[in-house]
Amino acid sequence: MNESTHLECRQIKEDLRGYCSKVYLRGQAQTDVPLRARFLVDDSSLVLAYSVVPDIRCLFYISPLNAGMEEQAYTVASDSETPGGEKSASTFPETAIGIDIGTSHCSMAVWNGSQVELLRNTRNQKLMRSYVTFKDDIPSGGVTNQLSQEYEILSGAAIFNIVRLIGRVDTDPVVHASKTLPFLVQTLDIGVRPFIAALVNNMWRSTTPEEVLAIYLVELRTMAEIQLKRVVRNVVLTIPVAFSRFQLTRVERACAMAGLHVLRLMPEPTAVALLYAQQQQQNVPDNMGSGIEKIALIFNMGAGYCDVAITATAGGVSQIKALSGSTIGGEDMLQNLMHHLLPNMDSLFSSHGVNEIKSMGLLRVSIQDAIHKLSSETSVQVDVDLGNGSKISRVVQREEFEEVNKNVFEKCEILIQQCLKDAKVEAEDVDDAILVGGCSNVPRIRNLVMGTCKKERIYTEMNPWEAAVVGAALEGAIASGVSDPFGTLDLLTIQVTPLSVGIRADGNTFVPIINRNTTMPSRKDLTFTTVHDNQTEALIVVYEGDEQLVEKNHLLGYFKITGIPPAPKGVPEINVGMDIDTSNVLRVFAGVLVPETQNPVTPFMEVRMPTVDDGHGWCAEALLRKYGSSLDLIMVQKKMQQ
Amino acid sequence: MCCSYGVIPRSDPSFSLLPYKPSITPTQVHVPRSRVAILTRVGSFRTRSFSSSSSVHDGGSVASPPLTEELMSFYELLGISSEGTAVEIKQAYKQLARKYHPDVSPPGRVEEYTQRFIRVLEAYETLSDPGRRAMYDRDMARGIHLAFSARRRFQSDQRMEERGEWKNRWQDQLSELKRRSTDKDSQGNMSWGARMRRQRNDL
Repeated sequence: MNESTHLECRQIKEDLRGYCSKVYLRGQAQTDVPLRARFLVDDSSLVLAYSVVPDIRCLFYISPLNAGMEEQAYTVASDSETPGGEKSASTFPETAIGIDIGTSHCSMAVWNGSQVELLRNTRNQKLMRSYVTFKDDIPSGGVTNQLSQEYEILSGAAIFNIVRLIGRVDTDPVVHASKTLPFLVQTLDIGVRPFIAALVNNMWRSTTPEEVLAIYLVELRTMAEIQLKRVVRNVVLTIPVAFSRFQLTRVERACAMAGLHVLRLMPEPTAVALLYAQQQQQNVPDNMGSGIEKIALIFNMGAGYCDVAITATAGGVSQIKALSGSTIGGEDMLQNLMHHLLPNMDSLFSSHGVNEIKSMGLLRVSIQDAIHKLSSETSVQVDVDLGNGSKISRVVQREEFEEVNKNVFEKCEILIQQCLKDAKVEAEDVDDAILVGGCSNVPRIRNLVMGTCKKERIYTEMNPWEAAVVGAALEGAIASGVSDPFGTLDLLTIQVTPLSVGIRADGNTFVPIINRNTTMPSRKDLTFTTVHDNQTEALIVVYEGDEQLVEKNHLLGYFKITGIPPAPKGVPEINVGMDIDTSNVLRVFAGVLVPETQNPVTPFMEVRMPTVDDGHGWCAEALLRKYGSSLDLIMVQKKMQQ
Repeated sequence: MCCSYGVIPRSDPSFSLLPYKPSITPTQVHVPRSRVAILTRVGSFRTRSFSSSSSVHDGGSVASPPLTEELMSFYELLGISSEGTAVEIKQAYKQLARKYHPDVSPPGRVEEYTQRFIRVLEAYETLSDPGRRAMYDRDMARGIHLAFSARRRFQSDQRMEERGEWKNRWQDQLSELKRRSTDKDSQGNMSWGARMRRQRNDL
């Protein structure tokens, strides 16, 4: 989180007073609403402020560009039942809340002093749909919104699948695949943030994934504050393994916009691993002494992502051995089946007219329904009238569904095998195969996980829909320093890095400095040298990923080292170090060493990554165009090997 | 995210060798010595970061200074005998992890705990791998004690080779799977997902 985005509450309060002449509460304009409490300011053009006052909870939007001229404000929820919400701020460190932000559903849980409790919304739901509807300029999310009909989400006014869109550039295939969603996803294919918009009063109102997530998080936060009768600020969020560090910064930004402080971003299966460690600890309390270590494979597949982790647990310590993940999930199965049943779907829906959106919504609902039924039945009748004269009426067999999604299942199997290989664990050594996430009911997925792990059955001690959020809440309690007299929280997760981080060197090669599946915290360094005689500068371009070609990895940032003493190529020693701490913060250090003394020639550079911002997709290309190979480096090859 | 790391201010030049403020604590005496240690080519980055920041942190710490740990063998560090079994090594590591993992550190001592944990981890990673343990034992017997950095570069090379080998195998599997799937279905009835992925691969 960027400290500079925090501004003094008082200052903003005064500023807001000038801007906010109108505040709407339940559609009624209010005058002189007292603005107290916390505000957070996003450092982009948009300012989001969150206010908690004794009887009104509001989310304010102010664009600095037209501040004072035009304001939009909307009420998130009324909070009259909580007297003096701000007064409960106690001197005790607050227990962080665990939030599982899924592509299709979200949930929230907290350690209540003796166990983890899932929070329910006003409709008594523990699992809430992840979407935000924009209607008459008053957005409302799946936490509070009362939907009359399922396809209202699909009317074009709602934005969903945000976790799939956040932090991606418009050249990303995942963004392109999202164009069949009922809201607007527009790309210019130049490596910038895609344009997304919701249909409000027959106009496309633009928004950003960060903004949508922030609005949703504000609702979650409001709900938690009402129930817990205290201020909620610290959170532990679960994230997909496949998320790049740039995507993590977008999630953090959304949290900052919602006034939340992120204690940890936990890859989903590692949250599950923590819960598993707790269960093992309770079942066999002193397995530390006996040295029994249990190895579990965790397979998590939701709507948007698939993650695999292998963990070795003993005595409440869960050592993650390997992680693997990919952007593949229930959404892909849905899209595949939709395209299978309606092959010309892309061209039919490309115009995004009101009628097309409606038919797209109808198709989506019925296919989704069919997929759910195929988990328990072997065939299902699909009847959908798309309204424009075309109808789909046919029976879909489970085999057909599985054939259409063959690639999805193959990819899952590869992810499991990759994870086993990385962890240096044989399938026979796996004690428990844990299957969680929204896709855990798909029979083919169950068979695949049992088959690849050579297990007769799936671990049954966990609720597949709640495991991740319970794990996040446990981590929230541990990270907040809560201790439990019964030892329930004597747990520790030792995390690994899901993706390698390194720099561009040896031409166009990605040279990892910290390899993936390295235990965190970690510090590593490598020595590089110049490629030209008398080269005085070098460009350090930092990437994350596991592809050999740099451009196939995620760009994190770049900086230049200057002041290399003139020397023949291959002589200067350029040291590039990387440091990842337990909060997963990455720092890159680089500088030139004098070979005889090993002292730095000029002060070392320290850069916290990622430094790139939205629209970074073209940066690497621009750097290449500008500098070519003139500032390149190559690795010093195995010089130190005896 | 940055909270637990916040002990060291961003301006702390842990990697620049030059103490950014003159220390007046008596432990300063060992600083020149740790500088000497840095002068070995192999240690460079990491040793330097450890010693310079330990000079900052030892001031108020009552625990044994990390400098002595630097001179301990991996076995001494894990508190086991040099004949320790794999199970003993693992247990010792987990016990020390519970003690020194930065997540369980008292507030204000995260950096010190991070250093300790990284040492313990390196000892564990070396001793739990039979090949590397044998090599370490050989060096010990020859009186070469190059803890924490000597083998590092070599290890990373070895790891990269393993990774390369793994990658080849995985790519073999992948291409086999691809071959199978293209054999079975012609281009025409490829699923939409397959087309997207092919497109992605072609990008």
